[in-house]
Amino acid sequence: MKPSDRAPRSLNRRQVLVAGAAGAIAAPYLIRDAVAQGKAVNVGVIMPLSGANAQFGINSRNGVELVADEINAAGGIKALGGARINLVVADSTSNPTTAANVAQRLLTQNDVVAIIGAFASSLTIAISEVTERRGVPLFTMSFSDQITSRGFENIFQVVAKASVLGKAQFDGTVAIAATAGQKLEKVAIMYEDTAYGTSQAGGLRAGAKAAGVEVVMDDAYPLGITDVTPLINKLRSSGAQAVFPVSYLNDSLQIIRSMRQQKVTIPAIGGAAGYVIPDFEKGLGEYAEGVLSISPANYDLDPALTDRFRKRYGYFMVHEALEHAVCMDVLAQAMEKAKSTAPEALRKVLHGTRFEGGWTKAMTGGAVQFDKTGLNTLSVPVMVQWRNKELVTVWPSEYAKGKAVWTN
Amino acid sequence: MNRSTLLRGLGLAVLLAVAVATPFLLDPRGYAIRVVCLALLFAAMAQCWNIVAGLANQVSLGHAAFFGIGAYTSTLLLIHFGLSPWLGMLVGAVLGGIAAFLISLPTMRLKGHYFALATLAFGEVMRVIANSWSGLTGGPVGISVPFAPPSFAMMQFKETRPYYWLMLAALVVVTLVFVAIRRSKLGYRLRAIKENADAAEVIGVDTTRTKITAAVISGMLTACLGTLYAQFQFFFDPDTVFGVASISVRMAMIAIVGGIGTAAGPILGAFFVIPLEEFANDLFSSRAAGLSQLVFGVLLIGVILIEPRGFMALGSRIRRLFGKGGRP
Repeated sequence: MKPSDRAPRSLNRRQVLVAGAAGAIAAPYLIRDAVAQGKAVNVGVIMPLSGANAQFGINSRNGVELVADEINAAGGIKALGGARINLVVADSTSNPTTAANVAQRLLTQNDVVAIIGAFASSLTIAISEVTERRGVPLFTMSFSDQITSRGFENIFQVVAKASVLGKAQFDGTVAIAATAGQKLEKVAIMYEDTAYGTSQAGGLRAGAKAAGVEVVMDDAYPLGITDVTPLINKLRSSGAQAVFPVSYLNDSLQIIRSMRQQKVTIPAIGGAAGYVIPDFEKGLGEYAEGVLSISPANYDLDPALTDRFRKRYGYFMVHEALEHAVCMDVLAQAMEKAKSTAPEALRKVLHGTRFEGGWTKAMTGGAVQFDKTGLNTLSVPVMVQWRNKELVTVWPSEYAKGKAVWTN
Repeated sequence: MNRSTLLRGLGLAVLLAVAVATPFLLDPRGYAIRVVCLALLFAAMAQCWNIVAGLANQVSLGHAAFFGIGAYTSTLLLIHFGLSPWLGMLVGAVLGGIAAFLISLPTMRLKGHYFALATLAFGEVMRVIANSWSGLTGGPVGISVPFAPPSFAMMQFKETRPYYWLMLAALVVVTLVFVAIRRSKLGYRLRAIKENADAAEVIGVDTTRTKITAAVISGMLTACLGTLYAQFQFFFDPDTVFGVASISVRMAMIAIVGGIGTAAGPILGAFFVIPLEEFANDLFSSRAAGLSQLVFGVLLIGVILIEPRGFMALGSRIRRLFGKGGRP
């Protein structure tokens, strides 16, 4: 009795299993087939679309999306018979393990020819461990020095490194103060204890040491700090002439707000990230006016290009969107030149070409060229200042669109 | 009785043989095998947690501390002294055991929520130390495992298959340790503590010693798994290996979803939670930002609502249901 009872049930289960397995095995082939018919090139976009960095991840995705749509509208990649660019977007969350998993998935299931991502340095580094072993190019605007210092051949960093950014943040400030007739002697540094905060603080410290400026306050604080009053009190009593806060959005809002509310009016020079996005001005209103920040790029260097972003998404083209747009454009240019999507061919073109025209014009240097570590050697950071709800490039002089306001 | 144990042993042997052979069916550098690797690793981690939480009901939310110690120890020894991760893993296990011993001393008398909170704080303290002591750990920037030519001695491989067997072996070892403890005197003492610590003390169980022994074993094994993770992932930072959400809570969650205190529970839990998260990410993350995490969360809540005691309890419920239906 019993075996006969069981037989139909187990048969059903087996059928289901077989069908499921067949589907699972067939899926990649079906996808590949569709790709071949539509002549599309799959490009992976991995960004933190949830969690603490979601806003930056969404901005970045928008930048890539804009350029990909434009390329498709203009007839796709001509050297590949007008192949469309098909973006495969995936959420890295804020966990490097997930980021690496997602990268592996895009490489094996979606056959992406390259990956663009992932804003936060720790995520990018985790992804690069996967892409390097598969020999597929990874484009990034993460700042961390580690990214191009590990001898990897398949990573391309389109912006200056964090240490360069930190030093420029310091040098630019000294230059702006000097123009306004003030000689900086005492400065304060406060930074969040993340990869981004500590490496940029390192650059600031090096800059101060080289310039012989005394750092009267050098404090790390935990990301997501709840009360910045002790920091601001310490800042007030330190006698610093300028402060360098390095933080993401929420902390930056708190720091600037409590500074201004407590009438600490010394210039604040932010370290990109939270200081150069529309939400900073929205959160602070008039307190945002005059705040300076370093930035790896700024939209006012080529308004003709970046206004297309503003028109589509309704806010100015933040630097991470701009740099990711450049990543996408450089990849498209490389495919045109290589006439192929093979990783070796792309790598060769990427290492040996000066990319000009298109979105690269919006970068400092007006072009993109990678050295053998994969670093874009032409990119230099700029200093920007909040002026009437917009970011104006104020330093270095060859890129400046306005004169810096310095209150001493 | 004898026949059923024989059948069970045979079943397990077949299952193990299938598990060992599985990589040959998967793309050796693919995505599926990577997800399975992580599921195996997290199953082993949840099993380590199960030794203390499942048997003695000492719910720890700080196991990331031991995991991180293992990851950092082997990687730092590899970077500075070129020491093979295999040896680094042993050193890490010793340090993980010492850490477990030290944290056990003050938390021993704590029960329930108080124990959970104390261990949670311990994990966080380790994270803060790793973040601030940048001279040793590289700080918040994280550290990379140096690129080495693929070899067994350096625990680095070009393909994912060897990692799979490594993770599978780890899971088997940890599960065997769990089963052995459960069957041993130590296991009975732990269960006595779980039921009623005071009564256990009265009947002569040295509760302090028992708890410390279990905690040290669990800490040592967790540290070993930290090394495996580092060698698999090649990069980590303090937030990843000492993370509350990414490690501590996940270990507990997997064991709870699968069935706390059972040998198969953590394995079932890991093979549900890890693929589910990946599946949600695959399907939904390109639709709207944050949707995949939301779906993952909702599904988890659903599972816990349906059966708070985990899949193992659900399994016996279904068996009972079918058992009743099958009888005339």
